[in-house]
Amino acid sequence: MHLSFLIHNAYGIGGTIRTTFNLASALAERHDVEIVSVFRHRDEPILAPGGDVRLRHLVDLRKDTPGYEGDDPEQERPATVFPAAEGRYKQYSALTDRRIAAHLRSLDCDVVIGTRPGLNVHIAQQARRGPVRVGQEHLTLSTHSAPLKRTLRTVYPRLDAVTTVTEADAATYRKLMRLPGVRVEAVPNSVPAPAVAPADGTGKWVVAAGRLAPAKRYDLLIRAFEKVVAQRPDWRLRIYGAGAERAKLRAQIDKRGLYNHVFLMGPANPLDPEWVKGSVAAVTSSLESFGMTIVEAMRCGLPVVSTDCPHGPGEIIDSGVDGLLVPTGKVDAIADGLLRLINDDELRKRMGREALARSERFDPARIAGRYESLFADLVARGALRGSLHRTRGALLSNAFRTKDAGRSALRRGRAA
Amino acid sequence: MTTSAPRHHPVTPPEEPTIVSAPPRADCIADSAGGLTFDVDVWGRPAPSGDWTAALVLRRRVADADADSDEVRLPLSPNGDGRLRAVLPSTVALPEGRWDIHVACGEDDVRRLVPGLNDLRSLVDRTPSQSASPLAVRIPYATKHGNLSLRSWLRLPHAEAADIQVESAGITARGVLYRVQDPQAWLAGAVVEARCRRDAALVHTVPATAEGAEFAFTLPYGPLAEVWRGGLDVWDLWLRPAEGEPVRIARILDDIADKKPVFVYPARPVAAEYAPAQAGPYYTADNDLSVRVDEREPAAR
Repeated sequence: MHLSFLIHNAYGIGGTIRTTFNLASALAERHDVEIVSVFRHRDEPILAPGGDVRLRHLVDLRKDTPGYEGDDPEQERPATVFPAAEGRYKQYSALTDRRIAAHLRSLDCDVVIGTRPGLNVHIAQQARRGPVRVGQEHLTLSTHSAPLKRTLRTVYPRLDAVTTVTEADAATYRKLMRLPGVRVEAVPNSVPAPAVAPADGTGKWVVAAGRLAPAKRYDLLIRAFEKVVAQRPDWRLRIYGAGAERAKLRAQIDKRGLYNHVFLMGPANPLDPEWVKGSVAAVTSSLESFGMTIVEAMRCGLPVVSTDCPHGPGEIIDSGVDGLLVPTGKVDAIADGLLRLINDDELRKRMGREALARSERFDPARIAGRYESLFADLVARGALRGSLHRTRGALLSNAFRTKDAGRSALRRGRAA
Repeated sequence: MTTSAPRHHPVTPPEEPTIVSAPPRADCIADSAGGLTFDVDVWGRPAPSGDWTAALVLRRRVADADADSDEVRLPLSPNGDGRLRAVLPSTVALPEGRWDIHVACGEDDVRRLVPGLNDLRSLVDRTPSQSASPLAVRIPYATKHGNLSLRSWLRLPHAEAADIQVESAGITARGVLYRVQDPQAWLAGAVVEARCRRDAALVHTVPATAEGAEFAFTLPYGPLAEVWRGGLDVWDLWLRPAEGEPVRIARILDDIADKKPVFVYPARPVAAEYAPAQAGPYYTADNDLSVRVDEREPAAR
């Protein structure tokens, strides 16, 4: 098959980029795969797609290059196809509308895959007839704003499939959206086997990694670790990552006198050599669309103590077997979970071995296999069925559009 | 390791590749004795044969651009998986400093390496053996430009700083002395000296307590603040035995090449005659332990 991914910016760093590259390079072993990046702001991608994946861009934002298009007058005019309710709306413009449309009209592939809601909207409305249209949801439906949900409900019936990263989110899509004939399937993110040997469980370090953002709740982890230190002062905590919360977390560490035990390490790439320095991983988020870091740590042989927050952790960790799930937002529960693994060397090492074995299901080859059979099914669904579905999708789309237009007219009427 | 033999040109000169190749990349694994093994991907280059000698070239950065920099060449040989391997054992003396790492494929083709995977787990919580030879510490790291470099320390003896308790009146720190025949004898009567960089005449001394090779000391901020006259005063901390040469107190026995942004301690307000001041411990760019006295941040006054 010829597969074409459409991504916001493949030259940056982030979870969607990482997982798309993992998937694309695994699929490239048996298929012809390209990644089309709407934007390009640097010469070389920070994370390199492996294998025979082709990478190209639609809009060049590299300053000081002859092809620079950031000053194109069309860049000044707002986008009309890319939905206004999408988080990245401000970066899109009349220029991206036009470039993406031209790209989608000239697609020469069997399957086109969108990697974020705004791009899925483009694909649903503008991809030429023929290629199978797949929209990936890397976040979750429930975290989108109401206006974005309405937009997606309007245009997603024109897709052939929507993929989510958790069963929980797939269930939400099936419940809240009317998507007749659209396959809604959960396919977890993939994480490759690390190139370093797994952790041996002897180091007295707990490791956490992620953006220093409020949703990660590192404040809870620091408070929980204060309780750990009270009992086990020989154990220490490293938190990898950068972000807006850094100063607050620094102040919290200083105030609690934890500067000999809790360390803000800054960002690290790759992370695998850092995971293996620890023996336990900690995730204290209030929300994880998937939980890439949980899988990364498990693939390095670490048992993870994670809050049982929506949506991912509960589908990754088998609590008590290959890690521990603890109630979300509870400092004592997090501390107890960490201490249980810290105080029991045998349990910790056994869970580490289980984590290593059970996380193999997230290997790119396995995940690519799941995508491969989904794509093959959709391609085999045939042109006739496909066009019937498209017609129905288009009709449904129009019906929703009318209804939503009525709704906003009504709202305007109320507001007046 | 330089070769003085004339270079033999192959019968058919290899065509220069027209595409810009990716910079050569090296994975690095540290062993607990302080040795490093580098596995280098040299893209687009044939395996070393009689035509040229492949070497890992370490060049020490020097402040003076005209000065000759130290250079260490390590032979690169096939490691069996298609890459080239060089080993830097702890026994190869590497003067203290920052070393930029290059790969040389022949004499004219010397290129900077970029870091691949640095597996430094054996450096974490490292406890070096007690012997009388200098302690060698080498930590590979990525520079801010994304290249591979190495920090090197060579200390005899070495005073490793451990936990530091920050109180409102000063600090209490612990540490371990390495690479002396009899640590207990060395530490008997030892003191910690705080030396002011602004004025060599300003030295404040406090006693050090010892237990085996471990030492501890309490350094009050008061005497340092007393002589503060505005601006930044840095006081470098040295461990001085009753007899013999003093040793700079440092923290180098782990995998973190640059301690300053990671090992961070709160500054405390201190009373000073001159103006409202604050003081706190920190690690210098060379991972040595110092205390700074500075103007209090406006919000804290």
